[in-house]
Amino acid sequence: MRSRDGNRNFSLRLCSVIIFSSLTLTASEHLISYKYIVKDATLYNETLLISNAMTKCNGTPQNELILLNKNSKNLKQLIFENSQEFIDYIHKLGLHVEHKETTSNLQNSSTTTLTLKTTCFKVDFNDNFARISPLK
Amino acid sequence: MRYSILLALLLSVSSLFGADKASNATVVEQTNAELAAVRVAATQAREEATLATIQATKAKEDSKRAINELAQVKAQREEELASMAAQEQVLKENRSIHISVVGQGVAPMNTSSPAQAYALAKRAAIADAYRAIAEKVKGVRVDGQDTVKNMMMQKSTIRTYVQAMVKNANIVETTFKEGLCEVEMEIVISHSDFAQ
Repeated sequence: MRSRDGNRNFSLRLCSVIIFSSLTLTASEHLISYKYIVKDATLYNETLLISNAMTKCNGTPQNELILLNKNSKNLKQLIFENSQEFIDYIHKLGLHVEHKETTSNLQNSSTTTLTLKTTCFKVDFNDNFARISPLK
Repeated sequence: MRYSILLALLLSVSSLFGADKASNATVVEQTNAELAAVRVAATQAREEATLATIQATKAKEDSKRAINELAQVKAQREEELASMAAQEQVLKENRSIHISVVGQGVAPMNTSSPAQAYALAKRAAIADAYRAIAEKVKGVRVDGQDTVKNMMMQKSTIRTYVQAMVKNANIVETTFKEGLCEVEMEIVISHSDFAQ
């Protein structure tokens, strides 16, 4: 016959497993890349690519961004709704700048490309907000 | 008759002696004149030599002055360079440098609304400001090529290239006027950002 103490240990283990799994499963990892091209002082192309990470990312989360969330778990939709805030956040994280300018027979043309290389972000979805932080 | 012949002979001989004396006198005069000419030439040569020595001393003084002036110019240049180096911003340990730039961007022609035009122009201006920061912090690679054919310029090309990673740049002010967006952006760089 099983003692009362043994049952308590079992229930504690079960609860901890449930809590741990719920914590780990709500945090998901996404790969995000961003690039925009400016040609002759005019925006030419802007690309923001988001996808789920197929493999586990390494690194520790840094510089988190908190976005208001309406009980959704769709990161693309969330970022689309808060695009300006997210792009400002990406700018703060740091962008690669590449600028090429050519002056041929006194005619000038320039191309500037700002790029966020594909980075793994950890996203924690909660009821009212979502935490996004890059893993470095 | 005999005396007359003798007299004539005596006269002729005396005339001959007189002629010799006259010729001797002319030779002496000539030699004296030559001597005087040589003396004059010698004095002229001496004067020329003294003039030459004076000119040489003057030239030496001029060269000394030129050397002194050159040394002064060099010293001034070094002082200017030292003052420029003192004015130039150098990132020292436990210090930070504040860099401020203005980027400009233009809205595309085919925008659906003024708000979209503003947003797109702002993106372009931000990219320009990032480029300006990268140019200031990291520098620009410049490449030029001119083609000359038959003594005439055929083609002139200048290429510039900037590549950098810009982090923590902040927008200070944004203005949008007559289709042109200007973004003032600043960045604070500290020594620890570059410390290995």
